[in-house]
Amino acid sequence: MYSRVVARLEKSKPGANTVVLAFLGFCIYGLIATAKQWHGPYRSGISLDLSLAMLPLYATYSLFRALTAYLLSLSFTLVFGYLAAKVKIAEKLIVPLLDIGQSIPVLGFLPSLVLGLLALFPDSNVGLELACIIMIFTGQVWNMTFSFISSLKSIPKELYEMTENLGLSRFQTLLRLELPCSATGLAWNSLMSMAGGWFFLTVCEAFILGDQNFRVPGLGSYMAVAIENNNTQAIGAGIATMIGLIVMIDFVVWRPVIAWTGRFRLSESNDSLNRNIPFVSLLLSEASVFKKMAEFSQKFFRLRSEKKRAMNANSAILLRSTKRQRSEQPIRISLLSRMGQMGRTKGLAFAIKSLVALFVALIAIKLYALVSVLGFGDWQEIFLATGLTFLRVIGAVILGSLWAIPVGILIGLSPRLTRLLQPVVQIGASFPAPMLYPIALAFFQLMHLSLSVSASLLMLLGVQWYILFNVLAGAVGISQDLRESFKSMSVSKKSHWLRLYLPSIYPSLVTGLVTAAGGAWNASIVSEYLIYKGEVLKTRGLGAMISQATSQGNFSLLAACLMVMAFTVVFFNRFVWSRLYETVETRFRFER
Amino acid sequence: MANDAQTALIEMKNIDQSFVLSTGHKINVLKDINLTLMPNEVLTLLGPSGSGKSTCLRILSGLQIPTSGQVLRGGFALCRANPDVAMVFQNFALLPWLTVSENIELGLESLAFAKGKIKEKVRQAIDLVGLEGFEEAYPKELSGGMKQRVGIARALVMGRPILCLDEPFSALDVLTAEVLRKEVLSLWLSKKTSIQSIVLVTHNILEAVSLGSRILVMGINPGHIRMAINNDLTYPRDEKSGKFKELVDDIHDVITQSIIPDVPEWIPPALAESVSESFPPVSINEVIGLVEWTLRQGGKIDAFALAHALRKESVQVLLMAKAAELLDFVDTPSNAIVLTDLGREFAVADVNHRKQLLHKQLDQLHIIKLLKAKLEAANHFSITRHEVVKFIQEWLPNEPASRTVDTLIQWCRYGELLGFNADKQTLYLDLGEPN
Repeated sequence: MYSRVVARLEKSKPGANTVVLAFLGFCIYGLIATAKQWHGPYRSGISLDLSLAMLPLYATYSLFRALTAYLLSLSFTLVFGYLAAKVKIAEKLIVPLLDIGQSIPVLGFLPSLVLGLLALFPDSNVGLELACIIMIFTGQVWNMTFSFISSLKSIPKELYEMTENLGLSRFQTLLRLELPCSATGLAWNSLMSMAGGWFFLTVCEAFILGDQNFRVPGLGSYMAVAIENNNTQAIGAGIATMIGLIVMIDFVVWRPVIAWTGRFRLSESNDSLNRNIPFVSLLLSEASVFKKMAEFSQKFFRLRSEKKRAMNANSAILLRSTKRQRSEQPIRISLLSRMGQMGRTKGLAFAIKSLVALFVALIAIKLYALVSVLGFGDWQEIFLATGLTFLRVIGAVILGSLWAIPVGILIGLSPRLTRLLQPVVQIGASFPAPMLYPIALAFFQLMHLSLSVSASLLMLLGVQWYILFNVLAGAVGISQDLRESFKSMSVSKKSHWLRLYLPSIYPSLVTGLVTAAGGAWNASIVSEYLIYKGEVLKTRGLGAMISQATSQGNFSLLAACLMVMAFTVVFFNRFVWSRLYETVETRFRFER
Repeated sequence: MANDAQTALIEMKNIDQSFVLSTGHKINVLKDINLTLMPNEVLTLLGPSGSGKSTCLRILSGLQIPTSGQVLRGGFALCRANPDVAMVFQNFALLPWLTVSENIELGLESLAFAKGKIKEKVRQAIDLVGLEGFEEAYPKELSGGMKQRVGIARALVMGRPILCLDEPFSALDVLTAEVLRKEVLSLWLSKKTSIQSIVLVTHNILEAVSLGSRILVMGINPGHIRMAINNDLTYPRDEKSGKFKELVDDIHDVITQSIIPDVPEWIPPALAESVSESFPPVSINEVIGLVEWTLRQGGKIDAFALAHALRKESVQVLLMAKAAELLDFVDTPSNAIVLTDLGREFAVADVNHRKQLLHKQLDQLHIIKLLKAKLEAANHFSITRHEVVKFIQEWLPNEPASRTVDTLIQWCRYGELLGFNADKQTLYLDLGEPN
C-alpha cells in the first residue's frame, strides 16, 4: 500500500511540490523550535506533556536531533574515512577503532558523555542536547565510514592514474572522482544509519544515570513516558507518529537522494534489475564492508592468517577480493618502501606507534583501576550473564531465520511481490523496535512467557528485518538461467530449495545474520531490562547488567560489562562470521 | 626519424622495478630498462603480457616511481606525474556521470583557463576526433570506438607534447581498432596537434609495425628490452607490401626464439637430473584444441597464422605450442607447429584413451616424478597446496610458482595422475579414491 501511495504522490507533480514546500516550512519551524529548546535554562527531569497536540513539536525535536547527528556522522565519515583510505598508518588506527565503536552499545557512551557535557554547559540545555545527539551519532556513524572506506579503495587504479595524468589536485580528485564513486554506497548506508539512530531514540532521550532522571523533549522521551505511565493512547499515537516520520523522510529525503546518486555508478553494465532493486546495491556495498573486515582481521592477526592465506591463495575469494587491490598495491608498496629508505617515515611511524601504545596502555591502566574493585563474584555473574545473553542472541537469530528465509525467498522470486513489499520491509527495518516493546510485552504476558525467554523475542522484533532484507536481496539475484534449467529437469520442490534457492542466497544470508547478531547484542540492553506499566522488568543477562549499572551509576561494573560485550562481538565478527563469510564467498558466490 | 641534434623528450636510465606481493614474495617486473624518446617518433613497446611494457609506460609518464634508476625529463629527474605526457588508457578511464564534453573538459581542469577558452579548446578536440553531435552524450551511450575517441580527445585537449597510448585499441573490435589506428596516425602526421611523439604499448605485432618508427621488443621474466628495431617504412604503411611482411616475420622470429628455441639450451649430463622442464600456463583444453586444430590443417600449421585465426595473442599460441611440445604431441621447427605420431594418436583418441596418453606423458616429466616421490613419502600420500608451491619454487625458481601449480594441478587432474581437494587445499596421489 505504501508503495502505491508513493507512486501516486510521485506521479502528481503539483502534489510533490506542495510536499516539498511544506517540508521547507517545517524545516524553518523546526530550526526555531530547536534553537529555543537549546537556549532554554537547564532542567534535568522535565515533565513531558502526553497530549496529542504536543506530538508534532516533539517529533520535530527528535528529527532535528537525528539530522544533526547525521550531519556529524557524514562529516566524521568524510574526514576519517578519507584518512583511513589514504594513509596507511591512519588506516591501522581508525579501522580497529571503528570496529570496537561499532560493538559498544549506545549506553556505553552515555555516562561519560552526559557527565562531561553537563559539566561543560552547566547552565543551559546545550550539554544534555549535545549528549543526546552524540549518542544518536554513535548509532549511525560506523557503517557509513566503513562504506566510504571500501568505496574509495575499490576505485579502479586506471581512474586514479587518469586524474594524476590530467594534473588534478587532491581536492579536484575528491570532488570529481572519489565522492561520486562513493555516492551510491553512502546514500544507502545513510538510510541504514538513520534507522540505526532511531533504534535507541527512547534510550537516548530519556535515561536514568545514578540517581538523576535525564530527559530531553522528543518523540523518544514521549514514548518512554507513555510506556512508563502505561498510557495506551499515547503509545499508539507515538508509534503512528514515528511511522509517519519515517515514511516522510523516506519520501522527502532518501528516495530523491538515492535516485540522484544512481547516476554515479562506475559499472555501466549494471543491469536494470540492480537499479530497480535498491537492496542489491546496499547488499553489495555491505558485502564489501565485510570483505574489508575480513581483510583487516587478517592483517591484525597476521600470525594466524599467514598460514590460512597461503592455503587459500588459490581460492576464488582471495583472487576476487584482491583482484582490484592487487593492481593498486604495487604503487603504494613501492612508495612506502621508498619512504622507508629515507628513514623519515619509519621514524614517524615509530613515533605514532609508540604514542598509540602509550595511549592504549593509559586506557588499560585506567580501565584496570576502574574494574579492579570488582570481586570474583562480579566476574562470575558477568560471564554467566554473557552466556545467557548469547543464548538469547542465537535464539533471536535462529527464530528470525526460520521465518525470514522462506518468506524472503518467496518474495524475492516474484518480481511483483518484490515491488509491492520491498518498501514495506524497508519501513519495517527503519522502525525502532523498542517502541513496540510494550505491545509485545502485553502479548507475551498473556502467553505467560517469562522475560528470560521473551527478551529473545523482543530482540527478534528488531533484527528479523535485517535477515529478511538480505535474503530478499539474495533471492532477487537467483540466476534466472538456473531456475529455468531446474524447471526443465523437472526437479522436485524440495531440491529446488535445497540445491538452488538456499545455496544461492547463502552469501547475502550470512551478511544478514552478521548484522542481525550484532543488532541483537545491542538490543539486549533494552530488551533484558525495561520499564513496563511503571515498574522495572529485568532478567539475568549482560544487557540487563549494562542497563542497571548505568542507571545505578556503577561505572566499574558498566566498564567491565562493556568490555566483555565489545570483546564478544568483535571476537565473533572476526573469528566466526568473517570465516563463515569467506567460506560462503568461495563456494556459493556466482562469478559476476 | 630520430635526430641526434635534437634533445630527448624523456630518458629512462637503468630502470629496475620489482613489486612485493602480499604473500611476501618479490617479483621483478622490469630489469635494466634504458630508453630514450626523441621528438617526432612513434616509439612502440611490443611484448607479451608480463613483459612489463605497461609498467614501463607508467614509469615514463611518472605514474609509477621505479624501484631504482632514473627518468629524466629535459635533463632533470622526474619525481611526479610527467607534465609532458597525455595518456590514453586501455579501458578508456572515462567518468560515466560526465558527458562527453565534460569528460574532455576534465583535461583542462587543472589549467585554469577562462570559460570561453575551455569551450573553444574542447570544441576543437571534439572536431579533431570526429565526435561532433555527441557532445552531450554520456559514455554509456557510446560504442567502444567512440569512447576511446573521447579518451583521445581528452588527451589532445591538454596540449602536451607526448601522447602515451596504453594498449589503446585492444578493448575494441578488429575493424574499429583498424579505423582508430589510422586516425591517430593521421592526427600525428598532420601536425595539427601539440603531439610531437607517441609512445605506444601493444602486444599486436601488426599494430607495432604499422605505427612504430622504432619498435622495442620486450621479453619476460623479468621484463627487459630484447631488441630495438628501426622501422623506416613510409607512412601510411601498406600491410601487403613485401617489406612490411618481412619486418613482421623478423619480429615473429625474435618472439618465437624466446619462447620455443630451435636449439634447446644445452645442459651438461651431470646436471640433467637437477633441471626441470618449465611449465607454461596453458590449460589442458587449449592443448587439446591446438592438437585437434593442427590435425585438421593436415598436421602442420604456422603459429602466427593460428594466432590470427584464433584472435589470440601470438605469445599465448606459442605457449600452447610449448606445452604440447612438452608432452611430445608436437614439434616446433621455427614458427611451425608439426604434429608428432603421438600427437596424431592423441588427436583422434576418445576421452578415455586421451586420459591414458596424457597420464603416460605426464608420468615421464621430471617435475612430476619428483612430485610423486614427495607424495609417496608424505603422510596419507597428500600434501598441502602451499607445500607444493614451495616445492615448485625450488625447482622452477624463474616461474610464478602459484600459477605453475594451478596448471600442474589441472593437467594432473585431467590425466588422473594426481587429485586435488579444493576444500582442504591438498594434493594427493590418485589411487582411484580420494582421501
